[in-house]
Amino acid sequence: MLLSDLTIEKTKEKPSCESYDCVIIGGGPAGLTAGIYTARARLKTLLLEEKAIGGEIVVADIVENYPGFPKGISGSDLTSAMEEQARSFGVEICEVGAHSIAVEGDDRIVNTTDDRRIVSKAVIIAAGTESVKLNVKGEKQFTGRGVSYCAQCDGAFFRDKEAIVIGGGDTAIGDAIFLTRFVRKLSVVHRRDKLRAEKILQEKAFGIPIIEFIWDSVVTEIKGAKTVQAVDIKNLKTGTSSTKRTDGVFIFIGTKPNTLFVKDIVTLNESGYIITTSEMGTNVPGIFAAGDVREKTVRQVSTAVGDGATAGAAVQRYIERLETVRE
Amino acid sequence: MGVLQEKDKEYLRNEFSKLKNDVRLILFTQEDGCTYCSDEKMLMDELSSLSPKIKVEYYDYGGQADKKDTYKVDKFPALIIEGAKDYGIRYYGIPAGYEFASVIEDIMDVSQGTTNLSDNSKTRLKAINRPVRIQVFVTPSCPYCPKAVRTAHKIAIENEFVTADMVEATEFPDISNRYSVQSVPKIVVNDDVEFVGALPEDQFVDGVLSALEQH
Ligand SMILES: Cc1cc2nc3c(=O)[nH]c(=O)nc-3n(C[C@H](O)[C@H](O)[C@H](O)COP(=O)(O)OP(=O)(O)OC[C@H]3O[C@@H](n4cnc5c(N)ncnc54)[C@H](O)[C@@H]3O)c2cc1C
Repeated sequence: MLLSDLTIEKTKEKPSCESYDCVIIGGGPAGLTAGIYTARARLKTLLLEEKAIGGEIVVADIVENYPGFPKGISGSDLTSAMEEQARSFGVEICEVGAHSIAVEGDDRIVNTTDDRRIVSKAVIIAAGTESVKLNVKGEKQFTGRGVSYCAQCDGAFFRDKEAIVIGGGDTAIGDAIFLTRFVRKLSVVHRRDKLRAEKILQEKAFGIPIIEFIWDSVVTEIKGAKTVQAVDIKNLKTGTSSTKRTDGVFIFIGTKPNTLFVKDIVTLNESGYIITTSEMGTNVPGIFAAGDVREKTVRQVSTAVGDGATAGAAVQRYIERLETVRE
Repeated sequence: MGVLQEKDKEYLRNEFSKLKNDVRLILFTQEDGCTYCSDEKMLMDELSSLSPKIKVEYYDYGGQADKKDTYKVDKFPALIIEGAKDYGIRYYGIPAGYEFASVIEDIMDVSQGTTNLSDNSKTRLKAINRPVRIQVFVTPSCPYCPKAVRTAHKIAIENEFVTADMVEATEFPDISNRYSVQSVPKIVVNDDVEFVGALPEDQFVDGVLSALEQH
């Protein structure tokens, strides 16, 4: 079983050149798609990824709403195929983070976390989002000792145990369903009286007998000794608090954009998302943004892919214009 | 029956054509009580078939105590990836799933005897002057784990006092329990310092160096 799923990394640890036509920051669906478009336009393209190629969807056990896969596909299978496709057109992929972006005349400079300076004509920021913390007592202390933000990574540690999932969106409910493969009992704690997740996911979750729903409630403290043993839950409607025994706490209450490293160069909205035009342009010519990192309403693989294609094509037009002006 | 697909083999043959020094894959297995030993053996056989520079050596964990002592391995299956010398790279449990990529990258690194850690990290690691053991707990389905394993292994390559273990947490539940591993990657340094997550290189080095300040 394990051997059927060997990952062979084809990623380089450092870029082979110092200058590119286009540097893409982030290797999720948006960045990989942008790369397919820029590379097919014969632009010399470098993609930087600091964590894992594929973006956050690699931890999704199954993606059922991305067109073309009627039986669903795992997030990692989907993005490995995207990666292979991007690579086949010549996108160079490097396992290193972007530290900052600077503008020097027509050059867009990307400084990397390993202190490299990469010169490019255009940059696409496709850095996605990361999960937000709950910010309650015990969360930090028990991170890795029962508190988790990745069901795919850590689910196996909760075989025949009890766990709670905090949140009511697609990720929370999708992962709650996934975790029922391992746990004996699962409770979903949600601060409202209905879920935000897709209806079809809700129906599935409501049909699993070992999932219990605790509505209108928030977790106020995570308790334990060596590892998590219980949580304090407060009902927001009645104001009453109770303690619930549990072995694991999976937190999926929302996301925030990975934009700290570009906050001084592009305009962000009050929540930190990058503001773009419909062509994915930011306030800085030659710097584009695509995918979950930008201000928009639907954050999904299919919309990330659409953004990536738009940004890739926009970069092509931008560079053509740049070169006509120069001539 | 092969485990690697033809196109992957092709890719690996090409990668391995860049190998410099010979690389030895030393595997300790045991007949009884080992779910993945035969799978891992098969995997190592295939890897070595892809390059004349990759040699395999198999030892019986229970039966060859002298070898076990030489390599200081304390559980099975145990894989050592050795280049011109033993750099202290250990894999306990099968490096399957995402972890297979770490094996390939380690092979490339030990063959060169160098890593791409930043100059700053390399200088800071020189402060290590006594034995340090880094254990990186992983699961094969964790996409963020190879980064932590590789950082630990690179540190081992750069500093002779460091041994760095990948430990497949689900294969060693007792050890995982001892360290309360419930999220991966979890990194334990000398039993003194622990942290969770694939930290960036400089913070990972901070974590390892902070173990030297204990006691
Ligand atoms: C568990 C889970 C289940 C999901 N299920 C579905 C589903 O079923 N269907 C669906 O459509 N969507 C699903 N989503 C949402 C989907 O994953 C996202 O909408 C999609 O991945 C967004 O793609 P992206 O490329 O914009 O960003 P991401 O996928 O977040 O990729 C951004 C990448 O940029 C990297 N990065 C960030 N900063 C830097 C930097 N400074 N330097 C270098 N790299 C950097 C990050 O490491 C990351 O890999 C799910 C998400 C999760 C977490």
